[in-house]
Amino acid sequence: MKKLFRTAALAAAAALALSACGGGAASSPTNVSPTGEIKPREISWLLSRPADGAVINIMKKLAADYAKDHPGFSLNLITTPDRPSYIQKLETLAAANKLPELFDTDATPFARQLAQQGKMVDAEKLLKSLNVYDSYRPGALDYQRFDDGSLYMIPFQFELEFIWYNKALLQKAGVAVPKSLDDIPAMCTALRQAGITPIAIDGQDQWPLERYVAYQPFRAQGPDFIQKLKKGDAKFADAAGQKTVQWLSSLGKAKCFQDGFSAQGYSDAQNQFTSGQAAMYNIGTWELPSLATDKLNPAVRNDVDFFTLPTTAGSATAANEYVSPSGIGMAVNAKTYDPLVADFLKFALNKYPTEYAATGALSPTTNVQTTVPANATPLYKKALDKANDLGTKQAMPWDTQLDPTTNTRLQQELVLLVQGNTTPEQFTSTMDSTIAQNAPKFFK
Amino acid sequence: MLPTRSRLSVLVFLLPPLLLYGAAVLFPILQSLFLSFFSWNGISDMEFIGLANYLRMFTGDDVFWRSFFNALGYLAICLILQLGGALFVASLLTSLRRGAELIKTLYLLPAVISTVAIAFLFVRIYSIDPVGLLNQLLHWIGLGDLERAWLSDVNTVLAAVSAPEGWRFTGLYMLIIYAALLAVPKELEEAAILDGASRWQLFTKIRFPFIRPVWITTVIMATTYGLRGFDIPYLMTNGGPGQSSELLTTYMYKTAFTSTDFGYASTISVFIVIECLVAVGLILVMLKRKADA
Repeated sequence: MKKLFRTAALAAAAALALSACGGGAASSPTNVSPTGEIKPREISWLLSRPADGAVINIMKKLAADYAKDHPGFSLNLITTPDRPSYIQKLETLAAANKLPELFDTDATPFARQLAQQGKMVDAEKLLKSLNVYDSYRPGALDYQRFDDGSLYMIPFQFELEFIWYNKALLQKAGVAVPKSLDDIPAMCTALRQAGITPIAIDGQDQWPLERYVAYQPFRAQGPDFIQKLKKGDAKFADAAGQKTVQWLSSLGKAKCFQDGFSAQGYSDAQNQFTSGQAAMYNIGTWELPSLATDKLNPAVRNDVDFFTLPTTAGSATAANEYVSPSGIGMAVNAKTYDPLVADFLKFALNKYPTEYAATGALSPTTNVQTTVPANATPLYKKALDKANDLGTKQAMPWDTQLDPTTNTRLQQELVLLVQGNTTPEQFTSTMDSTIAQNAPKFFK
Repeated sequence: MLPTRSRLSVLVFLLPPLLLYGAAVLFPILQSLFLSFFSWNGISDMEFIGLANYLRMFTGDDVFWRSFFNALGYLAICLILQLGGALFVASLLTSLRRGAELIKTLYLLPAVISTVAIAFLFVRIYSIDPVGLLNQLLHWIGLGDLERAWLSDVNTVLAAVSAPEGWRFTGLYMLIIYAALLAVPKELEEAAILDGASRWQLFTKIRFPFIRPVWITTVIMATTYGLRGFDIPYLMTNGGPGQSSELLTTYMYKTAFTSTDFGYASTISVFIVIECLVAVGLILVMLKRKADA
């Protein structure tokens, strides 16, 4: 027994020593202009983006261009589009200290710990050293920042989230576009009475429902509420918290979401809206190619429009402030940062915006004009123009803010609250105690 | 009895697989046990916290207990479908003169389909909007009142995710039990029938005692598989809605890879290992006592 104990202790010591070795190897994250010779080699980017999407296609092309002048260089793109699987992969690699040169992450508490440990290059300094910092939309950079304002991720997209709606269905039910968030429950009741599904939602992926919990507090207190809530400094039991809990409960009571939504996926929800069964659908500009071009079902094409997040009475944020994410960001591994990585990023980040805007998407920078595709409906340009008229505050998706355990629990409890399986009181006490238990570990 | 030298050679040949088993099975279990005394998120420093994880698991974690009882419910449904169904079908098969091969193959089919395909298949079967097979059937036979979103209803979701797992392996266990039933000596059965035994008596007094060793193995296999069930619930509902279909295994997985709480996840996995060992022990004791009685 004694021997066994000694072996275990030895193993523990070895493990600790190994992890210490790994951690100590990081180069300084603030030195963004490493000197020395550029030695071409293969570098990897672990990312969570659609395999055939614009970002990957453009970066592949840029890497090939770069390799022409730098024989031996190649960019290995390893994508895991499914976000939960990606996060698991990232966290496991981070735990093994095996992160590649470039990797995607949101500004999560976990990423913040990586940054604090000096494992990521300071992106603000990097972008400034490449003379591209000022070309970025402030909102696109702000989305990537940690609470203290530091920036460690580089955005490759810029999206706006709208509530898309079907004019004909609203008319049939005799309801107008909501002026306030508080109008939505009554609107749902009227739509249900007319036999229409009010809102199509992808319940399986959970983040779409989590958007809704963020809306009321963002209108009542701006971005501050979630910043305080995640640390336990604000509570669901507070006035702003109770407002959103009661609102969500009333959305559920008015049967706003399609029946059995929790087991329905992304394409199920989209089909419900584009086939004219559901009246509303909350999604971002990344879906413009399917909602504002001739790919959209002709039966609903002329009826589809969108509105931005409604305000509330006494709203702290303006109508032109809502969810405008710049997508998952790219972090640069400090340990493997060398003249080659720096030089490639300089090459790629300068050329990327033009290529990206040509695909019809909104660039995270303001120095290029997005090309409206030839098959677009007038709605396409209307949506793009909204990017020029944004306020300074933005609603952050809560899944990038909360610690992972609280986030998982919140996603679960939201479904129960909206389905009427728990009361607002139960929801409040469960969530407040979950935050109290888990937040301190991440926000010490 | 083997001569000494050849016994030694047998041991020599047994050693490599034993070492492999030790490295692949025992070592990770010991490592989990070790990690369960620490607080560690993968990138932080490992902090020794003694029994705090165990204390939290047993006294301060409502999701753990919820998952535990869900896992027992899941196990019960799987066992009834797998063992009950298998025994029933195998008994019927023995009295079939023709077509037994075809039926056997049909029952075995689900066991060879990939889990992901089964999960997606059943998500469609349970769907309400668009109407899936189950709700459509209920509608046709006049039980329209029972139509519901089976996977979104907290009262039905556990049974709904257990059924595919049960259905999937019924064929496999049926095959094992059928083979055992075929081995029951015909002359014993004929003698019993001559003595006036009913079909039920024939089954309880002759057939079942004869297949008991196989039955014990099957029960142990089905129970340990049931306790380790993970993929179908994870793929179909991811434990939801709420924690209604959360099992210990899915909860452990989320704790490790979503919450990055590797220490606490190890604590849960240690519990699962012990739970499986206890279950196997209980089965052996119960069935042995029955055999002795």
